[in-house]
Amino acid sequence: MDVAYINPFVEAASTVFKTVLNCNIERRLLSLKKTHAPTYEVSGVIGLSGKATGAVVLSVSAPVAFKVVETLLGTHVEEINPDVVDAVGELTNMIAGGAKTALSHLEMSIGLPSIVTGRSHSINFASRVPPICILFDTPWGPMTLEVGLETEGADGTGPNLNHN
Amino acid sequence: MSQAILVADDSSTMRKIILRSLLSLGADQVVEAGDGAEAVEKFVPGQFRLVLTDWNMPKKSGLEVVQEIRAQDKAVPILMVTTEAERGRVVEAIKSGVSDYLVKPFTAEALKEKLEKHGL
Repeated sequence: MDVAYINPFVEAASTVFKTVLNCNIERRLLSLKKTHAPTYEVSGVIGLSGKATGAVVLSVSAPVAFKVVETLLGTHVEEINPDVVDAVGELTNMIAGGAKTALSHLEMSIGLPSIVTGRSHSINFASRVPPICILFDTPWGPMTLEVGLETEGADGTGPNLNHN
Repeated sequence: MSQAILVADDSSTMRKIILRSLLSLGADQVVEAGDGAEAVEKFVPGQFRLVLTDWNMPKKSGLEVVQEIRAQDKAVPILMVTTEAERGRVVEAIKSGVSDYLVKPFTAEALKEKLEKHGL
């Protein structure tokens, strides 16, 4: 995967957290994703299609997801409920949308977010290119953004979600 | 004059954020729709003072919502609230009848400013 595709996602994630959650996040390690297991308990998945095709996955731990809901909605949560699921989906949507705008030359469309919770599922990127996993520190704990994009001509078609 | 405001977004989080702003500005009749089809179903010409709609929604897109509402009501202001920020998309929305545009992510102040611009 072209690494030039990564920065727009990093910048979009930083902008989203700064704008809607009023906090700074810091990018840590970049790595190739070697397993299909989600990094944390709540993952938002969005497919992208156009001159590049693939998916972006935002994965956060339950405590980070709870703080996101508390900050966005002012409600205290202690379990993964519909508010938590929806909030992570909307964050994923805004990050994918921001990156898509920065990569407008790829003329991509974004799909609707899917959210998977727990660890008993896998996310298979239907792409020959292994996704790049970006680790961030948030004020509430770590999170990851996984980006798998393949340019036109390849046969990637987006993610498959398998529930075990 | 109608006081109702229609808010269409498939994210309940986003609807709650918008609702909070509307309530803080004194709006007391807000109708929520969780997808595009529901938005069109709930819209009644002449009964709404403002429509806020997302673009990417299940069942009907925000663009279809705008086109269907505009076919029935030329006057109601429609504010598109979306992650779709490319120039071509904005132009497409305006051609379909959108009155104003707010790109996600937005600050509470930016939303408030847009709402005040449309009479709240």
